Amino acid sequence: MTYGTTVPYPAPYPGPQDSYPGHPGPAGTGTEAPGRDLPRLLPVHRAVPVDLRTHLSRYGAPPYLGSPGKLIPVLKAAGLTGRGGAAFPVYRKLQAVADARTRPVVIGNGAEGEPASDKDKSLLWISPHLVLDGLQLAAEAVGSQAVALYVHRNARLQERLRAAVAERAAAQIDLAPVEIIDAPPRFLAGEESALAARISGQPAMPRFKPPRVFEQGVVGRPTLVHNVETLAHMGLIARYGPAWFRSAGTRDEPGSMLCTLHQSDGGRDVVETELGTPLRDLLRLDGTQAVLSGGYHGAWLPAADAARMTLSNEDLQAAGAFVGAGVLVALPADRCGIAETARVARYLALESAGQCGPCFNGLPRIAAALDEVASPRPDPRAVTDMIRWAGLVEGRGACHHPDGTTRFVRSALHVFREEIRNHSAGRCVDPGRQPFLPLPADAALDAADWS
Amino acid sequence: MNGITQSTALWYASRATGVVSLLLLTAVVLLGVLVNRQGRLPGLPRFVVTGLHRNLSLLGVAFVAIHVITAILDPYVTIRIVAIVIPFASAYKAFWIGLGAISLDVVLALILTSLARARMSRRLWRSLHWLSYLAWVSALVHSLGSSNDLHSGLLLYMAIACTLAVIAAVAWRVTHAGRDIPREERAAATLAMMSPARAPRTRGTPRGDAGPRVQGGSVPRGSAPGDRAPENVR
Repeated sequence: MTYGTTVPYPAPYPGPQDSYPGHPGPAGTGTEAPGRDLPRLLPVHRAVPVDLRTHLSRYGAPPYLGSPGKLIPVLKAAGLTGRGGAAFPVYRKLQAVADARTRPVVIGNGAEGEPASDKDKSLLWISPHLVLDGLQLAAEAVGSQAVALYVHRNARLQERLRAAVAERAAAQIDLAPVEIIDAPPRFLAGEESALAARISGQPAMPRFKPPRVFEQGVVGRPTLVHNVETLAHMGLIARYGPAWFRSAGTRDEPGSMLCTLHQSDGGRDVVETELGTPLRDLLRLDGTQAVLSGGYHGAWLPAADAARMTLSNEDLQAAGAFVGAGVLVALPADRCGIAETARVARYLALESAGQCGPCFNGLPRIAAALDEVASPRPDPRAVTDMIRWAGLVEGRGACHHPDGTTRFVRSALHVFREEIRNHSAGRCVDPGRQPFLPLPADAALDAADWS
Repeated sequence: MNGITQSTALWYASRATGVVSLLLLTAVVLLGVLVNRQGRLPGLPRFVVTGLHRNLSLLGVAFVAIHVITAILDPYVTIRIVAIVIPFASAYKAFWIGLGAISLDVVLALILTSLARARMSRRLWRSLHWLSYLAWVSALVHSLGSSNDLHSGLLLYMAIACTLAVIAAVAWRVTHAGRDIPREERAAATLAMMSPARAPRTRGTPRGDAGPRVQGGSVPRGSAPGDRAPENVR
């Protein structure tokens, strides 16, 4: 299916617009909120990106509150957490930036450097105005006039977003002008401090914290960075209130989130689901040996364990994984988990910004050792070397790239221990080595810069 | 030079720990340059350089502490306690002891900021760390000025050796400043070093910390799905 086809408006949408006509009441009341029906962010007929006219007929104009700070308690009551992976409470970042003495910068983060994740691109493509509403409301909440959207390098996507921004400017529904800024296609480009560096005109490389980005970010000003999905939720919470948001999800982890699902048959899809959904309802687990949760900084889980878990940090963190940005991969039984992890570890090593010794010396060593373990009759010392090096790189980077990479590798050593024994005996479940986990091509990586 | 008696023990202890402190401080400066240039000591893993740099600096502080305490306690010279940290407040050799106080202050600042490094701005930590050269120079001049010990014999050669070593290290640092591998290529350079192109694997040869040998290319490189444009998302 391509998005070039034209479908008559309005596209059918079973969400808010049916039960929620016209402009919303004051934010936080939630009185006229629609049901808990999902999806909230993506229309069912996703073939049609939502244009401004359709968006306004469904949701009305963004419900501005008139002065900074008012949205923050609403977001606190809703319990919204960041959807970029860290699941940090959204209101706390907003509060910190709103309390700053200098005027802040607000950035929507749509860099999505994770090769296995499509949800931010999909959201920006299909529902750009939900994101842009959230961006305006966030800017109002912290009293900012400097607003930008930092977006994955894709000409068509950026062109569409520029058009959407222009459309809104013409309709005069924005409080602050929005600039679209190109994110270099690197794994770390969306890391907060890398983002701040890029927007300040430097290469998109992470720097040491503190100072945190919300204290000193873009050109030294306090900077509010939120994932684009977080902003979209924000736009809906401002309209329908915290109770509506909490009608989906669990008590501790309320709401819904976008997930990129990779099925064992190779199918790849973006879905919106409630937190607390059983993983077996998202992934078809028969014929699956293991599930990767949290993307390439996440962790592998044996399929049998995953079948008992729900999409929640409460369940997943107990097993060393986490929800992250909602990447879930079902690895088919006939693929080699070690070889797959080795391919990704090599990619992650090459994505080191080359700033911190433990990262640019350690990760390539770990990747090479894992490559050794993936080969027939590997050197038996490779695994112990790897574990030793992993201990030496963890917690020693400016960002969490070393920590995320070792979490991913360590989980593979544990979950695929049977396969490691196979390799020692000279066998492999997949001698043909068909690649499964998505990675950018080497050529694209070599060509890509950091700015 | 007379033998050590009860009354001179503190004086000798102070001088001896001063000499050891200078040696340790010199070693810490040399290792610091090595850490900065991402160098390593022959036959040792890279983290050993950082570990030695940190631990020798702490050991150096211990020796400086004994050096200072014994000097204060020693009845032979009168050095007020405030002169430990306040430069030029000493009645005895105010200038030379003052240089030692400057050195001590700087070393303490460096140790404290390094212990708190995770909680402070990296830029501030880095700029403060430049003061380590000042600490070393003032410690050396303090040693040369406040005692005749370094003016002749073996200790003179030691002082000259320390000076030459630090000058050489600084010269090396300055001349190699521009010869870094660009950041973007560092990980790739390490990976290339780790996987020498498709060399046949040999077994049983001893291996240092260089890591396991790898069979180059045993795992396919980038895969088919590639970087998807949004239109590919169903």
